[in-house]
Amino acid sequence: MPLKRSLKQSLERLSSLQSRYNIFTSVSPSPYTLSNKEEISKELAGYAVSIKDNIVTKDLPTTCASHILENYKSPYDATVVKLLKQAGVHILGKTNLDEFGMGSGGIHSIRGPVINPLYPHEEKRIMGGSSSGAAASVACDLVDFALGTDTGGSVRLPACYGSVLGFKPSYGRLSRFGVIAYSQSLDTVGILSKKIDILRKVFLVLDKYDAKDPTSLNEELRGLIEKNKKIKKTWKIGIVKEFNHEGLPKQFHESYFTFLKKLVSLGHEIYPVSIPSVKNSLPIYYTLSPAEAASNLSRYDGIRYGYRDSKLDIKDGILFAPTRSKFGVEVKNRIILGNYNLCSDGFKNNFIKAERLRVDLVDEFDKIFRFPNVLTNAEENPKGLDVLLVPTSSKLPGTLKEFEEDESKSPANSYINDIFTVPMSLAGLPSLSMPLKERTPIGLQIVGQYGDDNTVLDFVESVS
Amino acid sequence: MLRVARCYSLARTKVAHNYSTIFRPEYALKCGLEIHTQLSTRNKLFSQSTNSSTPLVDVPNRHTSFYDIALPGTQPVLNLEAILFAMKLSLALNSQVNSVSQFDRKHYFYGDQPQGYQVTQHYRPFARGGKINLSKELDGIDESSKDISIVQLQIEQDTGKSHYTDADKDVITLVDLNRSNVPLIELVTNPDFNDIKQVRAFIKKYQNLVRHLHISSGDLETGAMRVDVNLSINGFARVELKNLPNTSSIINAIKYEYQRQVELISRGETSSLMEPETRGWTGSSTVKLRSKETTIDYRYMPDPELPYINLAPDVMSRVKESMPQLPDDMMRMLMKKPYQLSLKDAKILTYNSNQNDMYNHKVLRSYYLETFQEFFKLVGEQGSAKLPTNWIIHEFLGDLNKLHVPLIKAQEILPPIVFAEFLKLLHAETISPTSGKLLLFHILETFQRSNCRDRSIPDFPKLIREFELHAIDQVDSQELVSLCSDIIAQHTDDTFIRNLTSGKKRTSLKFLIGQGMRRSQGRIKASEFEKKFKEILDIQW
Repeated sequence: MPLKRSLKQSLERLSSLQSRYNIFTSVSPSPYTLSNKEEISKELAGYAVSIKDNIVTKDLPTTCASHILENYKSPYDATVVKLLKQAGVHILGKTNLDEFGMGSGGIHSIRGPVINPLYPHEEKRIMGGSSSGAAASVACDLVDFALGTDTGGSVRLPACYGSVLGFKPSYGRLSRFGVIAYSQSLDTVGILSKKIDILRKVFLVLDKYDAKDPTSLNEELRGLIEKNKKIKKTWKIGIVKEFNHEGLPKQFHESYFTFLKKLVSLGHEIYPVSIPSVKNSLPIYYTLSPAEAASNLSRYDGIRYGYRDSKLDIKDGILFAPTRSKFGVEVKNRIILGNYNLCSDGFKNNFIKAERLRVDLVDEFDKIFRFPNVLTNAEENPKGLDVLLVPTSSKLPGTLKEFEEDESKSPANSYINDIFTVPMSLAGLPSLSMPLKERTPIGLQIVGQYGDDNTVLDFVESVS
Repeated sequence: MLRVARCYSLARTKVAHNYSTIFRPEYALKCGLEIHTQLSTRNKLFSQSTNSSTPLVDVPNRHTSFYDIALPGTQPVLNLEAILFAMKLSLALNSQVNSVSQFDRKHYFYGDQPQGYQVTQHYRPFARGGKINLSKELDGIDESSKDISIVQLQIEQDTGKSHYTDADKDVITLVDLNRSNVPLIELVTNPDFNDIKQVRAFIKKYQNLVRHLHISSGDLETGAMRVDVNLSINGFARVELKNLPNTSSIINAIKYEYQRQVELISRGETSSLMEPETRGWTGSSTVKLRSKETTIDYRYMPDPELPYINLAPDVMSRVKESMPQLPDDMMRMLMKKPYQLSLKDAKILTYNSNQNDMYNHKVLRSYYLETFQEFFKLVGEQGSAKLPTNWIIHEFLGDLNKLHVPLIKAQEILPPIVFAEFLKLLHAETISPTSGKLLLFHILETFQRSNCRDRSIPDFPKLIREFELHAIDQVDSQELVSLCSDIIAQHTDDTFIRNLTSGKKRTSLKFLIGQGMRRSQGRIKASEFEKKFKEILDIQW
């Protein structure tokens, strides 16, 4: 059931929330009311949803919170948007984000930073990014659920900071067609909501093969996953040694131990487990993702759409430099880093090496899970684990000022925030960040083997 | 068209230059080719847009999908037809197809490059190795046989097209993306060419091959096939020649560049030949486009979303089974017994010349081969192979061209078995060649007058009776004498006779025989006339 509030109420609250938290980049102009019976009988009839502004929509602009795509309107809907529309949702608006999904603070947007609504009376704190507006729209109860995208933690981190559920499904389960690419070997559409039953319902609607997306998980492998599925009442749970828990906030520890005790009392088994390659995750991630980003963002030259410099297409012999200088500073940093990683001199030492280490990481994950990885054909491990527990963030949301200061000292400071979320992105694993305490920005990721999204959702449902 | 303000084309200076083309053995030419071939698939490489190979008649930017213009959020979906075409070409060239190949992105900015990168195959190309054999016999090169080995074949996207115009003093570039994302195969040869004849023969042969396989129009003029040349002399650095729109530019650019470098080497001014450079062809000279220092780094990256091309083990063998006989094998078959065609005739039956509307080589070849077979069934080993050859390839085709009747239509009234009957009449000397020509032309002309609608099979005996075309075996001696005398009286004078009988101008006899053949409409054999003229004029030689 949709949350108990009318669309009208949402719209009434929207403008004041928007002015305080800067959640949306655009809002649907006319409220939509369910009229006929056919509409009401649809799977998601009556649900209000927000869409991250890097997922294309016909009815509203798609800007990626970038000057480069200011006022850009897509002539087609992304597959996930199309599926939601068919299921009867009402799209409230497009949500703010770090430009092109690059950032973990939610501050790198031409529309300004998203402010965390968990702190209505204090100094402004960050929402976390890049799906910052998505998380805020859910946290404020403006929508029943939100669509975000997660490349290295962009759904899970803001979900954690907004104390809502944030689910990044297995790579390839939800279509990326119409999702503006940041780093498409990692980009995944994610779902944010306060209710696990809503989240699961939405997942079922979107979890479909799409021939338009060459990385969409094909029907054959989906069938194989279905065959391997096992319904369990108790699970074998792993805690990964290599994730350093010591620096975590005190508040986290308290809730975490309470949670673990609850799990044991429910009859679940908890094991320590080692995944040594986890330590390579950030270097791998910051080699591959900026390279892909630099490549994907090459198309923004202003000729066919988007912003174009009013005077020049070429400067100092460099084509499109005047137009492309309008990318934000974080995007520019990553384009430069990406191009550096792809330069012929360093390609072998950087890119190829990172790709190899990424395969090693996947192998290590394959060894510890019970569920077989249908992509790698790794052997089933009957004694393996069902899920892993991994903290979502090493920090609590800082103030805008703190975050900006940290980042200005070194851009790498904000990259470190991704340490707990990036390994699952690199391996394409399903990972759901759930709040450990109500209205508190501490989250725990429930991680499953590739394709075993079902176990992750079952687990969260059973402990909710 | 999309307007890209401000021209960014390379400035070109035209330098007129006279050159003579003397290839000198002390300056050894070493040359390789890089050929881009547009595949004539129904759709583009990664989208459903129509792959239109007739750019001249099309509205700019008509054949463009959201993907082709690189709209945000679009994704490539591989067209498997392009893979099939690449397999066919690889098999024909004896190249080793990699069981796994991948797509990579090559990055550079340009107005007609909408993604900011081109999808190509850099790290693991589709196929490696292979060769094309050139021979004196089939290709007219100087050496009896020469292999040009192939480095690799890769599948890639074509770019759009830029048109540079001057409008109101403001130089602008127009961009047409119809060509964007059209599938290409890039073929790179080793630098095995050391003579210009080999280059010309290779291009012709490769062009014929892709046409034969129906994977490309192979036309240089439309840009469906584009050739770059790399060349070095006496081991100096490699120079790449670009912008060569047709065979004559390719040949002339090589000649010019050879001459230019020879002059530099002979003067000892070789400093500019130490580093590789890229040069363009202006139509009269080569000009430097860029050197190593200005070459950009393409930052190749494996495409993160296109899947590897993983070929199932049995795919290659199945494509192999579907391959047509290759042109060289076909040529050799046609030039051997029993057909014994000349090189020229064998070519007519083998190659798609794209020049004749009345027939295509495939229909003609099967017509020829079937008629040949039927003819020998009728006449046994006594038959001459020359009869079907001359009558089909020369006489019959000539008539079709004259009358504008397509072969495919003419086959309806003259199927191979009927044409074989006709050849049997000539073989048995039931009718003379001259009568045969008249008869064949008459049949086709009647057919043409009916607008190719009267499809009744010709009744040869009836037509021969009707037009009295029977060859006359028993010539009425009186009639022959009077005919010959009549011709002598009409066409000769004393000098003519003197020169003829003395043997000073023996060809005059041929003239008289020709007149006789004409008057008798070929029904009396030439040998009968020769005997009678010699008798009347008392020719002793």
